Amino acid sequence: MSLRVESVSLVLGDGDEQVRALDNVSLSVAPGELLAVVGPSGSGKSSLLAVCGGLRRPTSGRIHVADTEITALNPEQLTRVRRERIGFVFQQSNLLPALTVLDQLLLTVHLRGTTPGAADRDRAMVLLQQVGMESRSKRRPAELSGGERQRVGIARALMSSPSLLLVDEPTSMLDQGRGRQIVSLLRGQCHEHRVAALMVTHDPDMLMYVDRAVHIADGRLEQVEVARAAH
Amino acid sequence: MFIAVRDLVYAKGRFALMGLVVALVAYLMTFLSGLSGGLISNNVSGLIAAPVSHFAFQFDDRPTFRSSLVDRGMWEGWQARSGVRHSEPLGHTSFNGRNQRDEPLEFVLWGVNPGSFLDIHATTGAGLGATENGVVISRLLADRGVKIGDTITLDRVLTELNVVGVIDEERNYEHTPIVFATLAKWQEATYGPPGGAPPGEKLPDVVFNFASVVALDLEPGVTPEQIKAADSDLGTTTLTREGSFQTSPAYQVEVFTVAAIQAFLVVTSAVLLGAFFLIWTIQRTAEIGLVKALGASNGYLLRDSLGQALLLLLGGLVVGVGLGLVSGMAFKATAAAGTPFQFQPMTVALSALLLLVAGLLGGAVSIRRIASVEPLIALGRDR
Repeated sequence: MSLRVESVSLVLGDGDEQVRALDNVSLSVAPGELLAVVGPSGSGKSSLLAVCGGLRRPTSGRIHVADTEITALNPEQLTRVRRERIGFVFQQSNLLPALTVLDQLLLTVHLRGTTPGAADRDRAMVLLQQVGMESRSKRRPAELSGGERQRVGIARALMSSPSLLLVDEPTSMLDQGRGRQIVSLLRGQCHEHRVAALMVTHDPDMLMYVDRAVHIADGRLEQVEVARAAH
Repeated sequence: MFIAVRDLVYAKGRFALMGLVVALVAYLMTFLSGLSGGLISNNVSGLIAAPVSHFAFQFDDRPTFRSSLVDRGMWEGWQARSGVRHSEPLGHTSFNGRNQRDEPLEFVLWGVNPGSFLDIHATTGAGLGATENGVVISRLLADRGVKIGDTITLDRVLTELNVVGVIDEERNYEHTPIVFATLAKWQEATYGPPGGAPPGEKLPDVVFNFASVVALDLEPGVTPEQIKAADSDLGTTTLTREGSFQTSPAYQVEVFTVAAIQAFLVVTSAVLLGAFFLIWTIQRTAEIGLVKALGASNGYLLRDSLGQALLLLLGGLVVGVGLGLVSGMAFKATAAAGTPFQFQPMTVALSALLLLVAGLLGGAVSIRRIASVEPLIALGRDR
């Protein structure tokens, strides 16, 4: 499994203000699988994403990304795992405004301490081609539509050849049509690159386009039957 | 500096504005360096040009050229010490006088022995010793219209001096031009009766046993302990040539004033840059969180941020110092004769370095802020 979450709980706040954001959550995602976690606001979706990405330490339980138990790592080691094993696709894509589309991808190479070379550029262009953005490689985020930014965000997340993609509400700023395109693209890329993906969304319509889905409410998970669309 | 360089290009208007502030501060610093160098040079150029390593004053906690009085025993005593290449009496007295056109003149009369290591070489005209009353003037007095052949009559003492030579350099003390006379003529003017010796008579020998200070040329190996021992034996207080600049009250005030302005500029620069980078960092908080979520370490982001500050500072410094040097030289070329302005490469370089360090310290203010940003904010809910 690329992602294994075992009995994870997350308690936020102190004293009377305590909130159980995740309650004994267990799940796993296989390589090449896109798992959707769907639920309303405040159900614990983002908390799940945060603990799986090493952005927040769970109160109890264990999380494995590929062969690494990230719940046992220190902050520096977690930073390294995020850099090398995890790709993030954020809500609103979260691109850096000063960087061109191509540089958004090359940044992930630079973060590893390497000056991007010709091979990195070639790989970035291939990824941009796969998400239909190669002709926009020299544009900056301000010159792109919301859907285009999400495509760039997906390509960036794949640039470091991660074991796991963590996807945060990728369709929240898009209309239904573009949202469907993005999730379909995401699923295709997961299959093609054999990368596990955990996507949180509040939009049940997107469940038709994923491999598997779970519902989350009050920090607890339940399996959902997925009615697959004709991909 | 992957992100830093791209930020500089992307937000060029904002960075250009801050770079302009750095450039203006650097420009002011450079120009002030020229003014400071000029003031120092103009004030004590006579001391700077003197071929001495030390001056021995009459024993005093705070010796001055005006109040010091040394006798023959002191300069001969110094000459007998080991490590002393030259020991010569030097006379120093401020005078007012008038030339034959009845124009008032203010100058410092220095008395030196012709042929000694203190003797000066006139650029035009004759040197000292050719005639009894002959004096050599320096540039500032020449710029005020005094020329070879002029006669200067000292107020009160009525001693007449004939200008026989000119040094085409500034030789001043406290911004007042120095006129060089023989030591004997200086002693006569300083200690003799008004109008000099009565006709047919000589001044008493005792007049010629005194001077203001002992000018010394010591070998480099002479230790402070040896100097202290000589001072103790001879009743003198010895200062290095550079140390003797401090005997001029105006010098101290000018140096302090310019240094205070420069220090103020350095602090201003550091505060401005600190504020700029802090605001810039606060504005970029979401971006910093994002890059951290992507796997950037604090070290990576701090290097990037300081590199950005360094590039901004270097750009501003090159422009500011360059403009300062060019305009300073233009100012010197067009300003009235005697305007004190002189660049000293070491001072300019030090000022620029100081600004660079202060700017980087200012830029470093945002380090804590960068380090404290949580990558968690990259997730939508927490942003």
